[in-house]
Amino acid sequence: MIDTRHKIQFDSASCVGCKLCYKACFVDVIRWDEEKKKPVFKYVEDCEHCFYCASVCRKGCIKVLPDYGSERLLQTFDRYL
Amino acid sequence: MDGKYGLERHSADILVVGGGIAGLSAAVSIKETAPELDVLIVEKQTSGYSGKANKGGGVLQHFDLGRISPETFVEYHANAIGCFLGDQELMAKYVSMNNIMFDKLVQWGARLPKRPDGSYAVIPTGPMTGIIGVDLDITLKVRQTAEKLGVRILDKIAVIDLLTAEGAAAGAVGFGLLDGKCHIFSSKAVILATGSQNYRIGPMWSSGRGDGIAMAYRAGAEMRNAEFGNFAQLVKIRSHEEVVYGENYMYNKNGVHITKNFRTSPEPDINSNAIAEWYRQISADLGPITLKQEQASGGGLSGLWDRPYGQTFWRLNQESADAVDTDMEVCPMLIGEQSPVRVGHDMMTTVPGLYAIGDVSYCGSAAPGAVPAPPGRNRGSGILNAVFAALMCAPSAAERAKSGKAAEPDEKQAADLIARMYAPLLRDSGCPAKDVIRLVQKAVGPMEQSVYMSAHRIETALRYVEKAKELAGTMKAEDFHGLLSCHEAQAMVLSAEMQFKAARLRKESRGWFLREDYPDTDNKNWLKWIIVKNQGGEMTLRTEDVPYEKWPVKPKI
Repeated sequence: MIDTRHKIQFDSASCVGCKLCYKACFVDVIRWDEEKKKPVFKYVEDCEHCFYCASVCRKGCIKVLPDYGSERLLQTFDRYL
Repeated sequence: MDGKYGLERHSADILVVGGGIAGLSAAVSIKETAPELDVLIVEKQTSGYSGKANKGGGVLQHFDLGRISPETFVEYHANAIGCFLGDQELMAKYVSMNNIMFDKLVQWGARLPKRPDGSYAVIPTGPMTGIIGVDLDITLKVRQTAEKLGVRILDKIAVIDLLTAEGAAAGAVGFGLLDGKCHIFSSKAVILATGSQNYRIGPMWSSGRGDGIAMAYRAGAEMRNAEFGNFAQLVKIRSHEEVVYGENYMYNKNGVHITKNFRTSPEPDINSNAIAEWYRQISADLGPITLKQEQASGGGLSGLWDRPYGQTFWRLNQESADAVDTDMEVCPMLIGEQSPVRVGHDMMTTVPGLYAIGDVSYCGSAAPGAVPAPPGRNRGSGILNAVFAALMCAPSAAERAKSGKAAEPDEKQAADLIARMYAPLLRDSGCPAKDVIRLVQKAVGPMEQSVYMSAHRIETALRYVEKAKELAGTMKAEDFHGLLSCHEAQAMVLSAEMQFKAARLRKESRGWFLREDYPDTDNKNWLKWIIVKNQGGEMTLRTEDVPYEKWPVKPKI
């Protein structure tokens, strides 16, 4: 997907800095702030809403909010563009 | 050559590009047979988390070898799935190693469910096959095993091109995704385990961006079966969630069960005829197409076994989709799964010392025949094909590394490739990668161009590819993340070009490959593979006869 408008909610106060969300992201949406020991959601427009970051977070800090309407089906019929 | 971002040189006996399940399995297998070899995995994200094995259904294909022989399955596969383009000997090997692969995965840390009597918990999926569930931490477990065995792993380095010496693989060049640093790798063998091409369309499939296909192509390796890179699946139109086996329950706006129009007997998985039927119905104003809710189960295998990671993963996906799905209207979406790097039974490409395993070479190996990469109408074959290819490649790559000498890197070649690698970053102005990707998606996305094809529609697609190709030379990256996107976009252009040029050549329908203008299978003229090769910068295509005479199951001619 490109040009999506997905959002990611992050509860920084509950984050324990385990870095698993950063490792889990396979599309480089999440970078890591080594100083603050927190994730940086830097390229959210490239998020594929695989939910892997949220799945591995033991503290439940991450909520991925897909905007499915911003994804394209890429067909040539108006209904499925 | 040090450039503005710094330079680091690495050497290893064997370089593995890609740290998903295939690359990790190969590295572990090599260390098991030759612990003295120095094996280095380079991964553009984080090995153990990247790849597709930990994002899909989490199932392994099972054959009850006490009940059926590999030859029985090969006969079924050649007739129903491979349609006589398949290498039957390689498929028979894959089946015969089924139980060995389960034991290997368990030995490498994967947790497979067992019944009280100690046997694996198999769920039957057909007369000859079953599946075994595996949790989605499988890749991470194999990474941990690899590290215990002394495999070195470098994460967040994107390998962009291969180095050769006297025509053989000699290493690679890449850059650090976080700091942009240039990396030059020297090795006696290189294993590509970089996945397939999925064109950044289907969310779950998006890790396959064709990097390895493009690298191998540029290095002169032959491609085979590139036209079988057009897998598609029905998805719900709001959440875009795939509905596996939904093709069995398709109804048009008049309530007619349209599955009966294309399926007369039970089939193992979705067929391209389901996509063609959807297109015909919508074109005739008989849409929308919906699935009967009470019949379509939509995956639903989690819960049958204890998979802590898998259950969380699927719950989050399902909850999010349920919030937007209001009915069962479906539409096809291109998945892709192009996997054309040609390999022999030891998984070596046509470039000596360059190996390709897993989803980068599934169709290129010819094992599956006329069908795209796993699942390839063969559910549960994705992870096991990766493990199979790793086991097949390990002895050959190890032998080569033990007996060979590391070639001196060709500094001129490296300098040229590095200049090419950084070009989008150093250009003053240009278009973003997504402009190129958008054009490629216009070519491959529509079902009538990529799945239910015709000469005219293939030409339409190729015009978009040509535009994308022109634009690709002007891409501008703003940072290292953008630089990677530019190289992925280049790989998408190459994949689409070879897919449509090969499709234009194959004037028949066979297996998954479907042309409206050539609806019949032509065994007289088209028991052939299409081979694509880069010759001096030009994409060349030729055909090669499939040597079906030497295999047990013969086509009717």
